Amino acid sequence: MPAPVDPAAPAAGSGSTSAEPGLDPRGVRFAAAVTTVVLVLVLLSGSGWLAGAQAVVFALGAFAGMRFAPYSLLYRALLARRLGPPAEREDAAPVRFSQLVGFVFAAVATVGYLTGLTTLGIVATALALAAAFLNAAFGFCLGCEMYTVIARIRARLRARNPHTAEGATA
Amino acid sequence: MNTVGIVVVVGVLVVATVVGLVLRARAGRVRLATPGASPPGSGWALAAHEPGLDDRVLLLQVSSPVCTPCRQTAGLLGELVDSTPGLVHVEVDVADRPEVAAELGIMRTPTVVAFDRAGTELLRVSGVPRRPELVRALAPALAG
Repeated sequence: MPAPVDPAAPAAGSGSTSAEPGLDPRGVRFAAAVTTVVLVLVLLSGSGWLAGAQAVVFALGAFAGMRFAPYSLLYRALLARRLGPPAEREDAAPVRFSQLVGFVFAAVATVGYLTGLTTLGIVATALALAAAFLNAAFGFCLGCEMYTVIARIRARLRARNPHTAEGATA
Repeated sequence: MNTVGIVVVVGVLVVATVVGLVLRARAGRVRLATPGASPPGSGWALAAHEPGLDDRVLLLQVSSPVCTPCRQTAGLLGELVDSTPGLVHVEVDVADRPEVAAELGIMRTPTVVAFDRAGTELLRVSGVPRRPELVRALAPALAG
């Protein structure tokens, strides 16, 4: 199934990892729904290990690519064939970035729960849950929305002390 | 089951639902600029675009690399510009030029800011613009 290539697509965004094929938007929503359920279970059980498992799920999508994201694999195995091909596909880069944001929150939650900083675990999980729920229920990508704010903060830091910011990106 | 967990889950879901409904209601809506709120004459310079003789309105679209609705917005505005004389569309990426987003106080992408020929802000739209609403709002500036 070839992803439709928009010939009028602007240069904006072409610099990122756009080599990945387009995603089925219904698969993205499905993955967000599963994530929502898992994060609810984390909050109800207070299990750091479950939070850790979700962090690994996020990490696979963010670092290995959406092809290897477990919930996307689940969608393809269970639902994709029954639903038929999607009417349109969505760019993988935004979703991948949101998985990275999710990974940061889930990792903090895991550390919080497992080290006895339960409040930290709860707050980090709650924020990740809000993001996952907004995506599942409204198709709104909170992780993607954070990009602009982060870019502005980084630009301001760089303007303030150009030397340290340049070397501190690693 | 712990009580704190249940309270947090219910609280988060209620707040997120309200936020989601508000965002959905606002997405793509035209917000008219309050006269004098923004410094005049900044629009075309931010877009790094000299207005041509017949150019009347600039649509400056601020996008980010991780933004699905940005592509849809670019497509819609591209069509609009093709069918509307005097209308110019310039897309700027926050990854390359974060200072444009900072200058205009933009926190979300896509945000489209419309400027008149003098470079003064007319209106802005966050999210994929609702085409008829945008066309109606731009009509006076395009005619004038």
